[in-house]
Formats: sequence, structure tokens, C-alpha cells
Amino acid sequence: MNLTLTLRILGALLICLSGTLLLPLPFSLYYGDGAWSAFLLSALTCLVIGSLLFRFCKSRKDMSVREGFAIVTFGWSFFALFGSLPYLFSGAIPSPIDAIFETMSGFTTTGSTILTHIEGMPQSLLFWRALTHWLGGMGIIVLSLAILPMLGVGGMQLFKAEVPGPTTDRLKPRIQDTATMLWGVYLLLTAVETLMLMLGGMTFLDAICHAFATLATGGFSTRDASVAAYDSAYIDGVITLFMFLAGVNFTLHFQALRGRLRDFHRNEEFRCYLGITLFATLLLLVFNWNGGIYHSLGENLRYSLFQVTSILTTTGFGTADYEIWPVVTQYTLILLMFVGGCAGSTGGGIKVARILLLFKHAQVQIFRLIHPRAVRLVKLGNRPVDREVLQAILGFFALFVGIFVTASILMAACGMDLVSGGAAVLACLSNIGPGLGSVGPTDNFAHVPVVGKGILIFCMLMGRLELFTVLVLFLPSFWRK
Amino acid sequence: MKVLIVGAGQVGYFLCDRLSREGHEVTLIDHSEETIERAQNRLNVLGVTGNGASAETLEQAGIKDTDIFIAVTDFDEVNILACLLAREYQVPTRVARTRSIEYKDQRAVLSKEKLGIDLLINPEDAVAEEMVQIACSSGAFDVAAFAEGQVQFLGYRIDQESPLCDLTLMELGELRGIYRFVVVAIHRGEETIIPRGEDSIQAGDRIYLFAHQNDLPAIQYMLQTKKEEKRRHRRAFILGGSSIGRQIAQGLEGLQFEVKLIEKDEARCQKLAESLTKTVVLHTEGSDIQTLQDEGIGNADVFIAVTDKDETNILTCLLARQNGARRTLALVSKPELIGLASELGIDACISPRLAAASIILKFVRRGEIISVATIEGSNSEVLELEIKEGSGILNTALSDLHFPRGAIIGAIVRGQQYEIPTGDSRLQAGDRVVIFALPGSLNKVERFFE
Repeated sequence: MNLTLTLRILGALLICLSGTLLLPLPFSLYYGDGAWSAFLLSALTCLVIGSLLFRFCKSRKDMSVREGFAIVTFGWSFFALFGSLPYLFSGAIPSPIDAIFETMSGFTTTGSTILTHIEGMPQSLLFWRALTHWLGGMGIIVLSLAILPMLGVGGMQLFKAEVPGPTTDRLKPRIQDTATMLWGVYLLLTAVETLMLMLGGMTFLDAICHAFATLATGGFSTRDASVAAYDSAYIDGVITLFMFLAGVNFTLHFQALRGRLRDFHRNEEFRCYLGITLFATLLLLVFNWNGGIYHSLGENLRYSLFQVTSILTTTGFGTADYEIWPVVTQYTLILLMFVGGCAGSTGGGIKVARILLLFKHAQVQIFRLIHPRAVRLVKLGNRPVDREVLQAILGFFALFVGIFVTASILMAACGMDLVSGGAAVLACLSNIGPGLGSVGPTDNFAHVPVVGKGILIFCMLMGRLELFTVLVLFLPSFWRK
Repeated sequence: MKVLIVGAGQVGYFLCDRLSREGHEVTLIDHSEETIERAQNRLNVLGVTGNGASAETLEQAGIKDTDIFIAVTDFDEVNILACLLAREYQVPTRVARTRSIEYKDQRAVLSKEKLGIDLLINPEDAVAEEMVQIACSSGAFDVAAFAEGQVQFLGYRIDQESPLCDLTLMELGELRGIYRFVVVAIHRGEETIIPRGEDSIQAGDRIYLFAHQNDLPAIQYMLQTKKEEKRRHRRAFILGGSSIGRQIAQGLEGLQFEVKLIEKDEARCQKLAESLTKTVVLHTEGSDIQTLQDEGIGNADVFIAVTDKDETNILTCLLARQNGARRTLALVSKPELIGLASELGIDACISPRLAAASIILKFVRRGEIISVATIEGSNSEVLELEIKEGSGILNTALSDLHFPRGAIIGAIVRGQQYEIPTGDSRLQAGDRVVIFALPGSLNKVERFFE
């Protein structure tokens, strides 16, 4: 691996980050919260270190797949590291591990927080917190739709099977163009949601922060009680809708904007995603009604649908404390935590496409027991899926479960109880945010031991970067020349 | 009419035979001198040796005053080019055979209009279509539809247990009150006859009848030998994953059949599994009876063999029949084997040659004759005609007209009305009649209606 080249590009990324660190300044000055100096100082630090790296690490070699993996993994880590500076410089979060946890949670669009009193934070820091989500989401889109396919990882290989014809495989031949267009969609959806939330009575800051957190499927709110603080059916509805949209493959949105609405229907993953949402909502309605939680159907539907969408898309906003819901409801939600959004969305988790193919694969296995001579292929949207892709999915699933179990044991070793420890790992690995038990929707991660926080930070990073991208760095041969 | 046929392959040869027998002036072009020699010796045609896609050869064959041009060589490109040339010579009707779907697709860059072709015919499509049709009509081995599907022409094999066995047509006529149909022909041994009242149906016969679409279930009920249990999904086995096999599978899938497709080449199996959604693709030989039994051949409603080897098709059909498949259909290309196969108890033998030729015949004869079907294994034909205004036969009882021997009117369709003709029936202008004609009487029939 070419370390100098990697560092040079990381330097360039840091320079970009220093630019975004200036974005909260207007809010700081408008609200007079006094955090402007922290942002300036952070931006300057990033600029200096970035420029030094960029200036002194020069390489004539071209980038290869290995540098790609390193840049993606270290890029996200650097962002989490340097993005935490404003919290530290302003003194809003004094502990470095907490600040890094919060930033990593932001950039990986997880939404787990260590803040115990959010409303007491300076407004510009709240904006920065939401902005990390939004930037992370932007990174994810281009990462999952353009970069990871080149590296041969991730759900997007499925798209070769999904979209017929050579031209629609990628939207545009060049990565830059693809990224620009998808970001355009992302920006548009964000703007629309901000506007709609402001119509619901939110301030501009609250609206934009929630829009950022929704589209990135993050889940940072500007209120302690999350979305529940507004107690408005309209706001719940708008956020539910946009959470759902954010969990859909962004290429579908792009095609829809070009008038090809039928692509939604033709996309098998989307149909499955919609099916899961509706079915899970129905289950929750029945369970909650049975448990006597809500008295009117409308109320039940509002909270159940919101919670299903929030968990399935791995956003993690809360309008209800699902810990007081019946156990069977909580169990359903835990299963949804594993599923996650569609491939190519900003959602985390295992991804609907992988789950779908996993089941189809199992179905074919059973079929072959009765028809030993039969030739049957696993198909997605009537297109056969490569055997290698299937193997990668099986590997991914095994790794996901393996990491989940290992990390849960480690959390227990740190002193967390069974439910909270496991749920915390799952919430971070799937990039959801809140878990269950002591890290439930009304709690936070502040009380997790320092080692535990370290493990969770790593889980967030791995979950976000589709496991393989991070784990490949642990192969000794990766580092050899 | 002057007909020019390019390519003396199976389809070309058969078309020459049929069209020349009907009294058309047929010229045949082929590049092989030997083939031309043979055709000239056996058929009443003029042969020209040369390249069918060369203007010189075409002129030599008299393309300038040709009415119908048919290009049926084995090469798509030659056929298309020949048709393009024919268009330059202002031949009114141009027919070409092509195998590649590229020209047939709706979105094709080069459509048949652009290529100057009136009819593009693909023998494989024709076979697949016919196989699907026969597979669907339970019991019948030959099916054709006339008058927009109102009138069905069906062929049935009569065995010992059949309720029709040993009945004379007269006795059958008494049943007509309940079952509305007309038996127009009986095929016994090598001979096809148009039965009279005193003729009886015997075991081993194949009978052909006309019936209205709505009466089909009743007739099928009458003809069935054993009580067949009603199943929601009929089961079909197809042997051979060529493009014919794939098309049949697709066709049957659409008709709610449970389809199993057997193919011996693994790579081809993968391809088939990609394009078929519900069909179970089995990678094995047709003779691997153990696997076929495990897959339930004993319960199969129909077994269809469409490999490229006639012998394999016939033998596996016999094997399937022995193992309990209710009906068997075989693709048989060699004309010599068609008779043999039906002798062996295979329910229907379809040849690509006949399937393609009957479509071409239907097309070139259009005009007065609305529709025509060719009967497998005999040269008889069924045609549909419209009665013209001012025809000399209007409003006269059929028994008073001298309807040609060797032909019989099977149905009269008047708008939405359908009538089984008797001696008292009178034809009106605008009626459509469906006629069964033995070889040789076709011309007489056409003259009768003029």
C-alpha cells in the first residue's frame, strides 16, 4: 500500500473539512452563542494539518484498490477525529472520547448521542452536529453507488443485476457526474423537507437540523425528547415520509425525477422494503392495540408507522418510548434493526437486498433437496445474481453476526447488562442510534464505560463502511508492498 | 399465379409440392444442382440453379412477372437480400423465413416493412405455437381455429375404450341434439375418407371434427375415455432446451401449467433458468427415467419432446408414455418418420416444415380464402371462405347444389350465428364457410364458390 499517497489524499479531505467547519459560523453569530472562536480554531487546525499533509506527501504512483480501502476507512476516522474539535474547543463536550463518539455517530449517520442535555448546547454546535450527519450521508451515497462498486464491495454489485442494459448500470459514465446528480437529489429532498417542517412551525435551525438528520437517516435531534418534543401529527407525518424516502436507493429517486416513476415498481428491493414497512406496521398496530397502549387507531398508526420507519431506515428518531410497548413489539423492532434500508440509500444495517437474497438463496437450497437435478438461479428483479455476489452476501451476514456477538460479549465484559449491551452494539453496527434498556430512546450513551464507547465507535465505522472495507485493513498482506 | 421459391430445403420443397399441385406455376431456385435435379424429377416445377440473392439468377427464373416470391433458404441474410431484390422487381407478395428474432421484434431497427417483406416466418416460432395449442386442448392431437376462434377444428384418436367406437355416423347424428359437432373426416391406415351416414368409426381411427368453441367442453367430456380428475395445474414435461423448448415453456407457463424442462447441456440450463421464471429446469438426459420418475412423469398431462434429433424425440415419447405420461407430442422433422410416429402411439407429431409451410400457404392464398390449415400426415386441408355477393349458389338448398366430392362443408358462420350444415341449409352472401377438402379437390372447391 502506498502510504504517502493515502496521506496526501487524506490531507485534501481535511482541507475540505476545514471549509465545512466554517458553515456553522453564521448561526453562531446570529444566536450569539459564543462558539464562533471554536469553529474558527478547528477550521484553522484542519487547514494547517491538511495542507502540511498535502504539501509534503507526494507520490507519482496511481491509486490502486488498496489505497481506496485505506482512504475510505481513514477518511471517515479522520473526519470523526477532527470534526470533534469544535466540541472540545468550545468546552461543550469536555471528554475527548465523548466528543469523538458524538462526531463518529454523526458522520456515520448513526445518531447515538452521549449528550445528556441537548437543549443546553450552543445552537451552532447543534447545527454542526446535524451537519456531520448530512455530510456523512453525502459521503455514503457516493461511496455506496460509485466508490465501493469499484473496490468490489457492497450492495451495489446487485445493481448490475437489477438494472437492465449497459447504459443504465451507472447513471453517468463518470463518477463525478454520478455523484453530482445524486447529491442534487439529496439536496433537493433536504430543501423540500426543511420547507415543509418550517410550515409545521419549526424554526429554521430546527427544521434544517431535522432535515439533515432525516435525509442522512442519522437521528440527531435538537431536542432532548427528539421529535416527540414537537408533539405534532403534521411534523411526525413529514418526517416519516422523508425517512422512508431516505431509506430508498437514491438512483430510484433520480430516475423518478426524470419521469421514470415505474422504476420504483420494477425494483424488487423497493417492493420488498415497502412490504416490510407495511407488514411491520401492521404487526405493531395489532400488538400495541392488544397491549392496550393506544386508544384510537389514528394515534396507534401515527406512532407505530413512525417507529417502524425510524428503525427500519436506521434513522433513530423517537416519538414514543417503545420500551413501554409490549415485549413482542420491541422484539419486532429489534428484527427491523438488522434489516436496515435499501442498498444505495443512506440507511445502514444489513440492507434489504441482502436479506432478500439470503432468503431466496435458502429457498433455492430447499428446492434443490427435492429436485436434485434442477438448475435454479437466485434472481433479483428477474435477473440472475452472480454466485460471487451471493457468496459475498453470505460472508457479510456471517461477519455481521460474528461482530455483533463478539462486541456484545465485550460490552458485557465492560459491565453493561445483557439487553443494553447487545442493543447498544446493534444500534451502532446498524447505524440506528437508540437501542434498548439503558441506551433506549429516552436515554443516552453517556454512561457507557470508556472502553465500551471505543468499541461502539469502531462498530459504527465498520457498520457504515460495509464491514469488508474496514476489516481488509487487518490483513497483514494488505500492508505489504 | 406465378410463384418463385428460393431455397429447396424442407420448407421450400414442401411448398413447391403443394403449390404446384394446386395448379400454380412454380419456379424453384437453389444453389445445388443435385437438389434442383431431384425436385424437377419429382415435382411439376421449373428449377433454376444459382444464388437466390443474385439479380441475374432471379431474372433468369423470371422474377419480372412473378406474383409471389418466397425466400426460404437456411440463411436469414440470403432470404432478406432476395426479398429486397424482389421488391425492386415489383413482386406484389414477398415472404421470407428468418431465424433471428432481431427482425421480428417490435422494436427492431430493421422492421419487415423496411426490409420490404410482407411475411416474416420463423419455423421455430410456428412449431412452438402449435405445440402449445395442442398441449392445451386436452385429448385433441390437431387443433386449428377458424372464424376468429368461433369454429374449432379438432383431431381425435379413437381407441378401443372410446365411447364412439363402432358407432356409425348415422347413430352419431342422433347424439347431435346434445353434442353439436360434425365429423368431417376419418383417417384410417394410409387413407383419409369423408364419411357418409353408413360409415362407422373404428378403434385406431383418427377422426376430425368441427365444433363451436362453446361446445368444446361437452365434446371433450364425451370423448374422454377415463374419468380424468380435474386439476388446477396441468403438468407438462418438455425435453430439449432449444429455442423451441424455451418458447413452449414460456407459452405453457402463461397458461398456468406446471412446467419441467429437461436439457442435457449445463450451460444451456443456466441460460434457461435465467429467462424462465416458474419452469423447473432439469439438467439431465431424456432417457434418465429415474430422475423423470422422481420429478413426477407418472402424473404428467403432456410430454413434449423437441430435441433436434427425431429419433430421440420419438423414443423418449414412447418411454414417457410407458411411464405414465398421458399425452406425448414429438417434434419430427423428417417427413418419412411422421407416419411412423403416429403409428407408435405418439399423440401428435409436429414438423417445423409443415408448421411454417401452412403459415406461408395461408398467407399467399389470402384473398378469397380467409384461413387454411394443413392436416399432419395427409395432404388434406381445411379452409375458410367468404361467400361473395352474386355467387350462383346463393339461396339454394345445399342438397340441390353439386358440391364437389372429396370436400365437405363443416360449418356455416353468419355473423355471430353458427350453423351445422345439412342438406337444407342455404348459403347467403357474407356467410363464412369452413370446408374440409381432400388433396386434389381444393381447386374444385374454389371453382364451386366462384
